[in-house]
Amino acid sequence: MIVVNLDVMMARRKLPAGELAERVGIAPANLSVLKTNKARAVRFSTLEALCRVLVCQPGDLLEYVPDGKE
Amino acid sequence: MEWNRSRSILLSLCAVVLFAVVLLVTDALAVPLCMQACQVFLSLEGDELPLTLTVYIASVPGWICLYSLFRLLLNLRRGAVFTAENVRYMRRTSWCCILAGVLFLAAAWFWLPFVFAGIAAGFMGLIVRIVKNIFEQAIAMKDELDYTI
Repeated sequence: MIVVNLDVMMARRKLPAGELAERVGIAPANLSVLKTNKARAVRFSTLEALCRVLVCQPGDLLEYVPDGKE
Repeated sequence: MEWNRSRSILLSLCAVVLFAVVLLVTDALAVPLCMQACQVFLSLEGDELPLTLTVYIASVPGWICLYSLFRLLLNLRRGAVFTAENVRYMRRTSWCCILAGVLFLAAAWFWLPFVFAGIAAGFMGLIVRIVKNIFEQAIAMKDELDYTI
């Protein structure tokens, strides 16, 4: 499965969830869906906005974890 | 009067209520009279009891069908279309139609024309089942869309 490590990057940039959601242009509920790994898919536009706001690479946010391991 | 989705659902609700009234009248009054009429005009031999029992027993899935359709239409009216609850109502409706079909086919032993009612009910159950399958696929697609950020 693909794990979204938003919490780590948010902590590094000291960005609260509400502000991140507003700057990325998504609803706080959708950001929560991303953070809790309930999302089924991420648009490139959303990923681009996250990388721009958090000043990072997609690989910093997305991690592949084989099924059964966490 | 301009026709729209809301009025269409209202028409469907009225049709369901009308069917319920017809079924109520049938159960309460008409079955014994119809069976007697069948014996007189169609020269049926034997006891009318199996035929009457068949219709009364088959009316049970009929009532369940009508209730499920009514609740389904109320959900549609609220705007809740592709939901698991609606799929459950459709599943229930299809199985009730199929059950009524089986009952009528079994009762064809006593009165052959019940075969047509059985086939019609079974076919209706099949159609509703396929619509239920379509709704299930639509719910999966909606979930995929809802969880695409």
